[in-house]
Amino acid sequence: MLIELDSVSKIYNQGQPNEVRALSEVSLAIPPQTMVCLKGPSGSGKSTLLSIIGCIFAPTSGRATIAGKALARLPDRFLTVHRRATIGFIFQRFNILPALSVVDNITLPLLPLGISPKVRRERAVILMDQLAIRHREHFPAGQVSGGELQRVAIARALVNDPPIILADEPTAHLDSRLSSEFMQIMADLKHAGKTIVITSHDPLVTEHPAIDRVVGVKDGRIDVP
Amino acid sequence: MNSALEKHLNILDYALSALWRHRLKNGGIVVVFAAVIFLVASFQLVTTALTETAGKVLAVTPEITIQRMSAGRQEAIPLAYAEKLHDIFGIRAVVPRVWGYYFDEVRGANYTVLGVSADMPQADELSRAVVGGVMGSGGQGKVVVGRAVSQALQLQPGQLFSLFRPNLSLKAMTVAGIFRPETDLLTADLIAMPLVEARDLFLIPASKATDLCVYISNPAEIGTIAEKISKLLPDTRVLTRPQIQKTYQVVFGWRSGFASVCLLAALAAFAILAWDKASGLSPEERREIAILKILGWETADVLAMRFWEGGLVAGLAFLLGCTLAYLHVVFFGASLFRPVLVGWSVLHPALSLAPHVTLKEVLLLLAFTVVPYLAVTVVPAWRAASVPAESALSG
Amino acid sequence: MRPASWLLLVVALSLAFDATLLAVGQERRIAQQRELPLLHTVTAALGLSDLCVATEARYTRHPAVSDPVAPFMDHPGAMEHFPTGSFWAPPPFRR
Repeated sequence: MLIELDSVSKIYNQGQPNEVRALSEVSLAIPPQTMVCLKGPSGSGKSTLLSIIGCIFAPTSGRATIAGKALARLPDRFLTVHRRATIGFIFQRFNILPALSVVDNITLPLLPLGISPKVRRERAVILMDQLAIRHREHFPAGQVSGGELQRVAIARALVNDPPIILADEPTAHLDSRLSSEFMQIMADLKHAGKTIVITSHDPLVTEHPAIDRVVGVKDGRIDVP
Repeated sequence: MNSALEKHLNILDYALSALWRHRLKNGGIVVVFAAVIFLVASFQLVTTALTETAGKVLAVTPEITIQRMSAGRQEAIPLAYAEKLHDIFGIRAVVPRVWGYYFDEVRGANYTVLGVSADMPQADELSRAVVGGVMGSGGQGKVVVGRAVSQALQLQPGQLFSLFRPNLSLKAMTVAGIFRPETDLLTADLIAMPLVEARDLFLIPASKATDLCVYISNPAEIGTIAEKISKLLPDTRVLTRPQIQKTYQVVFGWRSGFASVCLLAALAAFAILAWDKASGLSPEERREIAILKILGWETADVLAMRFWEGGLVAGLAFLLGCTLAYLHVVFFGASLFRPVLVGWSVLHPALSLAPHVTLKEVLLLLAFTVVPYLAVTVVPAWRAASVPAESALSG
Repeated sequence: MRPASWLLLVVALSLAFDATLLAVGQERRIAQQRELPLLHTVTAALGLSDLCVATEARYTRHPAVSDPVAPFMDHPGAMEHFPTGSFWAPPPFRR
């Protein structure tokens, strides 16, 4: 299993009056080269689950093993280092920095890895060619079209060649044409060997043929239908 | 290349391009900051240069000067006082000096009139510093004038001119020579003449002088002898050479005057500006930091980026301000400070300042300007770097 | 060229410029040093105690030998009205 959660709980502000139990006793296993959709209303604990899978923070209790490493309550640094190597993120509205050029946005994850400008660009060029956005290389990201922006976000998630891609509500602000285009690219990536976790309640995503499994999340638990 | 170094270069690159994207705003801060540093550094350089020059040039000033004080003001001193000093062992010579100011009402200029005794040390070598002849007394006393005086009165060697005595009678004098330009810093406003001529001009009786210069064989005894003199002559003020030299160290101190008030106000205004700029963390900045962190930037990396931004602004402003200050003081004679430095003076030498820049002073300036700026930008940087990564995710 | 290289270039150029300035300034200092014996002669022969920088007021023309009340001719608490007073402190009080 590439992603393995064993009775994972997450409690925010533990022991304080504003304590929030976001996840309780969640167990989930995702094998490599699959595409899983996490489905649930906002506030269901979906984002917390994604954060744990994405090595942003460790669970309060339970065992989470991501790409062979158990997330204990280690200092942030260790999580960051592991995250850099294993996870590629695609955000809602893509979270592209509009003032930076397309190529600079794509190579952002490579900066803290100490990779030289030349190598950075070489890697970005390969991805831009694959995703047909090479002609936008030096455009400010704020000035490219929605479809191109989506591909910039995908290129950024792929640039450090991670085994796992996490997409957080990727189609929430896209029309159906761009949404299916996005899913098509995801399907191709799955075939290329990536493991993909998408949070969404968009039927275009949940009912896509490339999705291997839909996991319902409700009130901090896996919702078994 | 070493990947840790490359990582830092990458962060530096990122910080630089961030600064460049907001070049108007950051450029403005650099300009204002550089202006403040320029003012502080210029002031520092001018005062260092003057203090240093005074220290060097005035190293051979008379060991002890005795002035008579009456009702809190200086008065002419009777020559008889000199006789009383005979008993003090260690005094080499006591030379009377007559000097004072002459206000030229037509030009609004103050001249310094100096009556010189032939007993002064190196008096016979004075001609080396003069273009033309030496001074002398007689019917129309021969005087030597400074360059600024010769320009103000349009005097040439050999020319005749007159000054008013206190009783408004005219005293005629001939210009024997003009002090060399190299000595401007000491002589620009001088009208030097023999002692008797100066007495005649100011109508000071032959039994009196303005003050007495006391020369001492062993400089180590200056303090003891000065003490003996002040006991012997209770109505006098005794000035020693070390005191005179010290004057120039305190005279340009951080004075509660116009210049320092302006500088402090500028510094305070700048600190407020810097704080305001650095403390506001806009939603865009928060979002950017959250994205960077989720993409694998550590808190330390974000902090380093912010440090670079603040450090570069402050560093460039410091470099710019110091360079301009040096140009201003050394190559333009501190022309911006001139109005304050010389006030309403009509006569003043062309200042040729060449201060010695020491590492200590540079560090001091750095501590007074760049360090406070970094301090007010560090606190917000901490806050910025602690934005949680998951805030980039949707709720 | 990457931005960091530009920065290095700019800093190197300005430091080189500053070094040149300092060198020229140093040259001047040396030139002034050569005139020092002449200035010493003048100082000794005339018994001078002060530099001639400002000539407007006696406590800025001769700060070292002015009496303590010179800046406050009329009243010890009087405001100074000479501009140089903001640059030059009154002579330190001594007996």
